[in-house]
Amino acid sequence: MTKSSEESPSRRTFMMVVIGLISVAIGVALAIPIMGEVLNPLFKRRDIVWSELGKVSDLENIEPLVPKFVPVYFRVKEGWTVNTLPRQVIVVKDIAGKLYFFSNQCTHLGCPLHWIPERQKFMCPCHGGMFNVLGEVVGGPPPRPLFAWVYKIENGAVLIQNKFLDNPKERGV
Amino acid sequence: MFQKIQNWFDERIELTELIKEFNGERIPRRGGWVYTFGSLLAFLFTVQVATGIFLLFYYVPYFPMARNATYYLKHHVLFGNILLGIHLWGAFAMIFFLLVHMSRVYFSGAYKKPRELQWVAGMVLFSVVVVLGLTGYMLIGNENSWWTINVLTNVASHTPVVGGFLRIIVRGGTETSVLTMQHIFAVHVWLLPIIVIMFIPMHLLFIRKTGHQGMALEYKNSKLSDDDINKWKHPDATVPFFPDQFYKDIIIALAVFGVVYILAVVYGAAIGPMYRPLALNFAPEADWYFLANEELLKYFPGHGLIVFSTFLIPTIGFVILFALPFIDRGHERSPFKRPAATVLGILFLLLLVYLTLIGGEPKAPATV
Ligand code: HEM
Ligand code: FES
Repeated sequence: MTKSSEESPSRRTFMMVVIGLISVAIGVALAIPIMGEVLNPLFKRRDIVWSELGKVSDLENIEPLVPKFVPVYFRVKEGWTVNTLPRQVIVVKDIAGKLYFFSNQCTHLGCPLHWIPERQKFMCPCHGGMFNVLGEVVGGPPPRPLFAWVYKIENGAVLIQNKFLDNPKERGV
Repeated sequence: MFQKIQNWFDERIELTELIKEFNGERIPRRGGWVYTFGSLLAFLFTVQVATGIFLLFYYVPYFPMARNATYYLKHHVLFGNILLGIHLWGAFAMIFFLLVHMSRVYFSGAYKKPRELQWVAGMVLFSVVVVLGLTGYMLIGNENSWWTINVLTNVASHTPVVGGFLRIIVRGGTETSVLTMQHIFAVHVWLLPIIVIMFIPMHLLFIRKTGHQGMALEYKNSKLSDDDINKWKHPDATVPFFPDQFYKDIIIALAVFGVVYILAVVYGAAIGPMYRPLALNFAPEADWYFLANEELLKYFPGHGLIVFSTFLIPTIGFVILFALPFIDRGHERSPFKRPAATVLGILFLLLLVYLTLIGGEPKAPATV
């Protein structure tokens, strides 16, 4: 008969070590798949698609320095589903005729911007961020100018990608 | 007959002894009504679990459907509006009475040695319940849910070093998507409630081990010095938990439950319109208990400073609260004998109320 822990201190130590090791082994074995599941999004490639915004000829006809909100629809895979992400593109033409395609997400924490014509500004309804028509910050907490969409012009149409230029932390669109 | 049943159980598991042991807990005698808030929180949490489980008979955690499933539950299910209303107002009541309970414990110095662990376990409960509130707000799938998810995950992205990854993990990808909703659902319905269910008994076990402290006025007749830890274990007079304290607890529980019920029936839970990422003039709003934090976000502009409002100030505040028993190590319990702590506490509460009130005002006019 083996000795009980009360009879032999070394036996006690041995059993405690075994109990500890088994607990750690089970814990680690469980933690690996759980962490894998939780961290999985970090290892997934984002589904990047092009989506048509409109004809260049139409967009070039907008008034200079008057933003136009144009919806764009991205059909993308998200997890096990395919979804349509509706997003606003703010199209702005400057005086030289150059077109800009901004996101309507405030660069502070992402609230939807309102264009206030009387003040010639985009105002954020959340914490009072303000941008001018060319997307520069003119007030409030936003840390950077508006995000610009990745775009290209093909066969007279403007195509937008579900991706921002200059977006180091990969903020979602 | 009853005697026989009782005997049957007693012979096997000494049930009567067990119940006596549980009910006989000694509670300080003088401040009974002030000590009801803890039990009230346990009661409110039970109500949340009961209503929450049955909300799941209809709820669907899928972004394009969640709001309509909730709408159906509210408008087309018999008394669904009451069930949903109790869950909402019950949640508000919990957050409100958490602050009341914490304030009472704070001002009576009940977190001091030997009761530090009660406070720490309590802080875990506080953090988890607030996150339960926020995730619940997100699960409705209406416009505020959508923007709250976006804004709060963006807040998380300002955490130093890991922020960007954190946002992707929480959202289940770069975008707020169906996976985001699924994660929030699992967290709101499984993970956090289980943590609460584990920590309430722990909280209570610690309290039974040290005995209730109650307020300083329970120790008026004590001859021991304030620095003597034994003084704070022996109140002048006590009563048993059952029925003396329980009687008060249940009266308060009924009063609060009554108010929650009336609010549920009269005001119910607002569901609001379906989320519309294309909305041009929507002004997102946070729930009332988050407005103070929301207000903070306005004061730190620009690249370098955002981290103050999104990470540093809240984190430092939390760490200080968590570690309070280890920071404030004086032995005085009466709020009058520790004026600094008392004044700081009052100022903090006033600041909270002030930030909440101005945080609730519209920040930028939606039109004009
Ligand atoms: C769901 C949340 C909570 C529940 C169900 C709960 C429950 C209770 C109960 C039943 C008591 C004893 C009676 C009383 O004094 O009210 C108590 C006491 C206490 N609670 Fe909580 N509590 C919760 C949250 C908190 C929080 C957030 C804190 C502080 C951060 C806290 C700190 C304490 C302390 C220090 C005591 C001991 C008071 C004394 O000995 O006089 N509790 N709690
Ligand atoms: S989200 Fe626009 S100012 Fe904060």
